[in-house]
Amino acid sequence: MSHDTHDDLVLHPRDVRFDWGRLPMHWVPGRPTATHVINVLHLLLPEGERWFVRTFQEALPLVRDEELKEAVLGFTGQEAMHAEAHQGVLDHLLAAGLDPAPYIRQVEFVFRRVLGERPQPTAARAREHVVERVAVIAAVEHFTAFLGDWVLNAEALDRAGADPTMLDLLRWHGAEEVEHRSVAFDLLRHLDPGYARRLRTFLIGGPVLVHLWIRGVRFLMAADPALPPGAGPTWRAYREAAREGLLPGLGRMARFAVRYLRPGYHPSQDGSTAQAVAYLAASPAARAADH
Amino acid sequence: MSRPPVPADIPPDLYGRDRPDRLMRFLDRAARALVPVLARSAGAVPPPRPAPAPRRFLVSAREEAADDVVALTLTAADGSPLRRWQPGAHVDLCLPSGRVRQYSLCGDPADTGAYRIAVRRVRGGGGGSTEVHEDLAPGTPVGVRGPRNAFPFVAEGPVLLVAGGIGITPLLPMAREAARRGLDWHLVHTGRTRSSMPFSNRLADRFPDRVEILPDDEGGVRGAVRLLRGAAPGGAVYCCGPAPMLDALREAFESCPAAALHTERFTAPPIRDGRPFTLRLRRSGTTLAVPADRSALDVLRAHDPATPYSCRQGFCGVCTVRVTDGTIDHRDRRPGERTPGAMRVCVSRAPEGACLELDL
Repeated sequence: MSHDTHDDLVLHPRDVRFDWGRLPMHWVPGRPTATHVINVLHLLLPEGERWFVRTFQEALPLVRDEELKEAVLGFTGQEAMHAEAHQGVLDHLLAAGLDPAPYIRQVEFVFRRVLGERPQPTAARAREHVVERVAVIAAVEHFTAFLGDWVLNAEALDRAGADPTMLDLLRWHGAEEVEHRSVAFDLLRHLDPGYARRLRTFLIGGPVLVHLWIRGVRFLMAADPALPPGAGPTWRAYREAAREGLLPGLGRMARFAVRYLRPGYHPSQDGSTAQAVAYLAASPAARAADH
Repeated sequence: MSRPPVPADIPPDLYGRDRPDRLMRFLDRAARALVPVLARSAGAVPPPRPAPAPRRFLVSAREEAADDVVALTLTAADGSPLRRWQPGAHVDLCLPSGRVRQYSLCGDPADTGAYRIAVRRVRGGGGGSTEVHEDLAPGTPVGVRGPRNAFPFVAEGPVLLVAGGIGITPLLPMAREAARRGLDWHLVHTGRTRSSMPFSNRLADRFPDRVEILPDDEGGVRGAVRLLRGAAPGGAVYCCGPAPMLDALREAFESCPAAALHTERFTAPPIRDGRPFTLRLRRSGTTLAVPADRSALDVLRAHDPATPYSCRQGFCGVCTVRVTDGTIDHRDRRPGERTPGAMRVCVSRAPEGACLELDL
């Protein structure tokens, strides 16, 4: 990963569409664990990213910097398109016999109620509540920037014969995450330059996200009609898939996570905008979006 | 984006056990306990900053670069060094009349003393280019915002640059950057006549093997397949020019061996067949007139700068607003994803003279 200089990029959403008609249940062939670890994205993201959009829209009136405001607007459009694209996969899973509804009800609960707007007694507190949730998003975006960079470079998925449409969705999404990886962090620093909020949202949000992820994999493998009853994820299966490059390594992920806590951290220090831009110019879905 | 309903009850257990889910109950209780505490621990609220004015610049030089094309050199009014930029970047030029236009930077990114832009006079356009041609003599003050980049250049070869007419401007710094890095690059420039095509003659003098100039009146109009002939397998193509040329190139690109196609982004498409109508904001009672040539979003943004939007083409949906009364003329690109009783204000309108009541 290298530092790069495309820091004045205009962010804009792309009008992508995907056809899931031929997506196999295990789109990493013969690898249900790898498939479902990544499939958790489809469970979490549609609701999660819609919550990002609503929260950033709540934050818009607080932004006093025109360029940052433009970046926030570009960010919301990209996130809204990500949500719709992952929703499409979810609809396909249901049609293929995997009913995601019990988990989705919980995800809705988390993003609409636990993390949703709550009436506050004063305007100052309402502002703080918005900023707190922006800080949660900044911490999550640290993780999505990591995943974006990982999937853009995960050639093992191509070698394993992973479904090309799914790879294009993941890489288009990953590339846009890399493109906009500084926006949430810059918005947080603009609204609260302090360190305390960055630290606490990371310490609370990180473990909850990891826990929701593990629950999601367990749920998907239990609900997968193509797996024998009682099938479930194991750390061994994860480590094997990671060794082959089909999933990000746990150690690497943990080391990356704690980078967020360095006082001089900025998202532009990780990932390559040039690589993201190059993928978006080559992505079948992103190219078709221009027609 | 419209707000979904907030769940009233703790969702059930994931595996069908007949009880509320324990994790969800825990998270709900934790949030209820924490939010009031965290919302109280307010740091100092930063004082609101006024919206920054565009930076003051002066036109320091002006030359005719081709028929109907003028090239301007812009320097900061206080002489201070300029923000660095990358090939493909543009600036917002704020003209003395108040018009704002975007122009690609065509100078040298390493030059922190001046920006260079080139402007073709568009007859019958919105008047911006005419104002540049007629009123911007050397010494004229202008405002500049940016630079910003909607056409980033990934300096990896091989590279084919395809320019139509004035579309050469963002590609010039790319060609120089490619040459500087020793990439395998080529540039193809088309236009009506050689005398109407700026800059490429000079570039061709320096790089005769890499620059091809193809005026329509010398050998006819070249099709997209011809323009892409030099695209290398696995390489990148960067295009800038009139919309019909870009559409043809996108189509022809699918059967060309290059891997990546880069074009510049223009967001808001022109309003077709727009009729004037009015908006009534339910919560404030304000009434706003939407003229035929502006979108509901334009009018809402002028009223409230924090109005959300993003794609301005009717597909991303983040500008969706609930409509409490009136007939919507839906013009968005994704009818299947429409929220009932709501409109995407960036493109959708109302019949002539009608009034839409928005839940704002």
